[in-house]
Amino acid sequence: MAGRLAAAALAPLLAVLASMVLFGAFLFAAGVDPLQAYGLIWLGAWGSWFSWQNTLVRAAPILLTGLCMALPAQIGLVVIGAEGAFVLGGLGATAAGLWLAGLGLPPLLVQIGMGLAGIAVGGALIAGCGALRQYRGVNETISSLLIAYIAIAVMNQLVGGVMRDPASLNRPSTRSLPDAVMLGNIPGTSVHVGLIFGVVACIGAWWLVYHTRYGFAARVVGGNARAGRVAGLPVGRLILSFCFLAGGAAGLAGMVEVAAVQGAASADLATGAGYTGILAAFLARQNPLALIPVCLLLGGLDAAGGLLQQRLDVPDATMMVLRGVLFLTLLASESLQGRISLPRLVRPRLAPVAAAGE
Amino acid sequence: MTAPSLEVIGMTKRFGALTALDNVSLKVAGGSVHALLGENGAGKSTLVKCIMGFYRADAGDLLLDEREVAIRNPREAQALSIGMVYQHFTLVPSMTVLENLTMGKGLRVGRIDWRAERTALGDFLATMPFRVPLDRPVASLAAGEKQKAEILKQLWLGTRFLILDEPTSVLTPNEADEMLSLLRGMVAEGRLTVLIITHKFREVQAFADEVSVLRRGRLAGGGRTADLGVDAMARLMVGEAPPREATLREGTASGAPLLALDAVSARDDSGMPALRGVSLAVRGGEIVGIAGVSGNGQAALVEVLAGQRRHTGTVQVQGEPYRATRAEMLRRKLALLPEEPLRNACVARMTVAENIAFRSFDRPPICNGVRLRHGALRAQARDLMLRYQVRGAGPEAPIAALSGGNVQRAVLARELSSPVDVLVVANPVFGLDFAAVAEIHAQLLAARNRGTAVLLVSEDLDELLELADRILVMSAGEVVHETGRETADRMVIGRYMAGHA
Amino acid sequence: MAPPIALGWWGVPLAIFAGAIRVSTPFLFVSLGEVVTEKAGRINLGLEGTLVMGAMSGYATSYLTGSPWLGVLAAGLVGAMLGLLHGGLCGLPRVNDIAVGIALMLFGTGLAFYLGKPFVAPKAPNLPSLPLGAWSDLPQVHAALSVNALFFIGILAAPLLRWMLANTGLGLMIRMVGDSADAARAMGYHVNRVRLWATAYGGFMAGVGGSFLSLYYPGSWNEGLSSGQGITAVALVIFARWDPMTCLWASLLFGGAGALGPALQSVGVTQGYYLFNAAPYILTLLIMIISCAPDRTLVGAPGELSITR
Repeated sequence: MAGRLAAAALAPLLAVLASMVLFGAFLFAAGVDPLQAYGLIWLGAWGSWFSWQNTLVRAAPILLTGLCMALPAQIGLVVIGAEGAFVLGGLGATAAGLWLAGLGLPPLLVQIGMGLAGIAVGGALIAGCGALRQYRGVNETISSLLIAYIAIAVMNQLVGGVMRDPASLNRPSTRSLPDAVMLGNIPGTSVHVGLIFGVVACIGAWWLVYHTRYGFAARVVGGNARAGRVAGLPVGRLILSFCFLAGGAAGLAGMVEVAAVQGAASADLATGAGYTGILAAFLARQNPLALIPVCLLLGGLDAAGGLLQQRLDVPDATMMVLRGVLFLTLLASESLQGRISLPRLVRPRLAPVAAAGE
Repeated sequence: MTAPSLEVIGMTKRFGALTALDNVSLKVAGGSVHALLGENGAGKSTLVKCIMGFYRADAGDLLLDEREVAIRNPREAQALSIGMVYQHFTLVPSMTVLENLTMGKGLRVGRIDWRAERTALGDFLATMPFRVPLDRPVASLAAGEKQKAEILKQLWLGTRFLILDEPTSVLTPNEADEMLSLLRGMVAEGRLTVLIITHKFREVQAFADEVSVLRRGRLAGGGRTADLGVDAMARLMVGEAPPREATLREGTASGAPLLALDAVSARDDSGMPALRGVSLAVRGGEIVGIAGVSGNGQAALVEVLAGQRRHTGTVQVQGEPYRATRAEMLRRKLALLPEEPLRNACVARMTVAENIAFRSFDRPPICNGVRLRHGALRAQARDLMLRYQVRGAGPEAPIAALSGGNVQRAVLARELSSPVDVLVVANPVFGLDFAAVAEIHAQLLAARNRGTAVLLVSEDLDELLELADRILVMSAGEVVHETGRETADRMVIGRYMAGHA
Repeated sequence: MAPPIALGWWGVPLAIFAGAIRVSTPFLFVSLGEVVTEKAGRINLGLEGTLVMGAMSGYATSYLTGSPWLGVLAAGLVGAMLGLLHGGLCGLPRVNDIAVGIALMLFGTGLAFYLGKPFVAPKAPNLPSLPLGAWSDLPQVHAALSVNALFFIGILAAPLLRWMLANTGLGLMIRMVGDSADAARAMGYHVNRVRLWATAYGGFMAGVGGSFLSLYYPGSWNEGLSSGQGITAVALVIFARWDPMTCLWASLLFGGAGALGPALQSVGVTQGYYLFNAAPYILTLLIMIISCAPDRTLVGAPGELSITR
């Protein structure tokens, strides 16, 4: 068991090491001392309780957006529209929050309503991609990315138009949520409870995938859709439900962003957490439980970015470069290690089981 | 200039611990047709791949026209006028025959003068005993035409020693005969020497001058086909008299049909009709065989029964309309074994235990409600692997680690371990060794004797003649002929398979 | 210069026409690049990152050397290198080209933002345009018919590519490798090598397309320059059924859709600005929904392309 765990973690660990080396070379070429940079990354990410909290806050959304990629991956779909579900989920949560708060409901109910709204909107969006895939044969990678762009445009449109707060002149934004309704922090820390949502969701997703019959069915279909069909598994229902859960997770992350961090919906809502989630899912090899340590890593790198910028005068896009390098080295190391990097859903109603010679 | 002769001396090839070829020597006389016979895994493909330069032999020499040659890759083989026609087609489907043949001549980058190419090819085709349409995309050709195009391509490239790897496996008996006769004609004219890999005794006797038999990587024997009879060849191939103790057939079919299709039609992936109004019925206690050359709708038929393909018309199991949902499979006790089980009925990277659980993972004892109990899953796997003799790896290994025969045993274990009323099987023994074949045939007969209705779709007529109570022939998506066990006539069936009575 | 004459609503089709030409040029280049890559059997989703890197490096080179055409060349070379990276990684065993594409999308964008910081403010020399509207007195027509040279290069490239694919050994080799790798290998072609160079070419074109954005329209470099044009071009190739000439028409169509927003703005219609800007994505999605079907393989798709198998 421990052996298998080590084997599974080998490729990501190699990737992290390789990318740190490459990153160091990159910095060196830019005239920066790599060792100093490593030290600052450690300091800024995990060196003190302050940095830990920073890391945890940044890890929180990725835990959920990572699920938006990892859950459909179990069933063989490559969905990269987390950013869209995040943004519209946050917007939906804001609308629900403003409306419910206006009705005078107690804060807990408003928060629950916001969460449900975020999940519903995000879930519907990604479930739509799944439906397009299942019933129209539209490739979900392209459709989810297009839908993400469209979603951001819709968000900008609504925030600047119908939902706009007249008082926000320079930067269009909705009205702010009342303070009472905002999500609080975990007692004793300055980390918002969104982190708990993320951790619970990851554990729940892991349990779903590996310890329930639904997860088993999904993994069969994701491993070989033909075999899934022969076993009579309800491919369409599985795709829709897993996509809904995936989008719901990202939508919940959007709700947390609004209700715990930003306080209102604006163009700032497109934080890029959706895209980081993609990287997190790959690093975690689509395993929801492995998302937790991976997000701690990525959150830490994000947190350290600010410190690097301050002390070494490197632009904050540096961390984007590091993330890109990380992704590329991961793909290379997975290949060299001999693992399949993505489950692939071959279309359910597929080419005939051809005999040799066809 | 006569066609070249080829001699293989002491060829040995090892893959790790496995010795695929062990000191094999044989001689193919120039201007003759030489058959290479052997069961799956005997080393025939390995031998020709070494000749062609795909593999580098560990030991041995090659003599072409009495001269020693070394072949390190297929391009060198081609330069020596040695060419091979493979089992799967190597023409590019979306390009026309003209484009395929033009590109086969070698790497070029610049502008192509289509008129010149067309003229040259036209002149060449005039000297050939058969033709193919030049301007149709290869994907639109029938299997027989594709095979002819492959051979033409080799001849166009100047091949004079032609190796054919099971060329007739995708052809109707008539197409096969036509093609082999044409090749024989060219050999008689001295243009070609042919080495043909086959497992069909009939072809060996009708078309080959000499035969060499391989068994487990060694040359078991050979000689002139005029001197060797079928029994002698079979003995060389399997080492002793083939196990002919067929399981007794008990009882006959009775009762209402358990599986009934009525006017079922379906389209394939490109929208063309694959099944046209197929009607058939299978009763409990009988095996109904579906004969036909691959590509005539059998695959679509199996997919319809598996719920993988939309169809019109009705499919009824035990008198009720059947939609291939999991619940219905359970209630109606239907099991389905598609061909190539690893590819179509298993998830390669999941463990053997998990694959065995595909039917039972959502029922007690493995699942009570929602939670999956891994302990119960493993226990079931261990039990079934023992009962059905699945060997080669443990239950926690990925199923891809098992050999073909063991994968099929595992899938059988999964499907037959609970009572089954209707069994649909497609090409169950394709690519398996003799022992596994006998075992699986015995399982099928045992199921039939227990009262199961078995629908056996197979491209192997011998298998059908041995097992089936009734044989239906499919051609171009329709059932064109039906015959009982006693009255079955190979030639009649073969004609119907080819599409004309 | 004559005082601007109010054209009223006639300004809209004119603006759309002009906008179509302008907005379509990046689509045109990226799709003419990706069509060859996909014909060879690879799909490069990283073109978004390549586009942005091309835009940045083109702008930077133009600023540093003073020559916008050198910028275009630099952009193409940078794009080609990213294409080589994509092709190289995909050539490794068991690597999925969609995953590599996503990785490159993130990497290329990040690298561009990182290296491009110093170039956001300064103004680099832009590409010249051919004043085809000089015959008119209306300044709007001048502006509309002021067409960039890259557009003409693109228009010429489309039929040239189609001819190349049908009539040269190079084109047949690309098609063979993309339709049946087994057949190509059996005939002795190096499948991975052909795909590598096809992807490098695709990257070159995408880089040039990106340089158009930064060196002509909108003509400056900043982090919001592109949003999805690269990925839209990939969908465009599918919509165009892998035919270079159809890519040309489709690019113009997409360009027109993208020009709708600014054109309406110019006559005072400011409602729905963001939605109009999203028109190309919406159009692409609708087209994919209409042209795909669950039971059929996409007609004309190269057999080896991973997303259509």
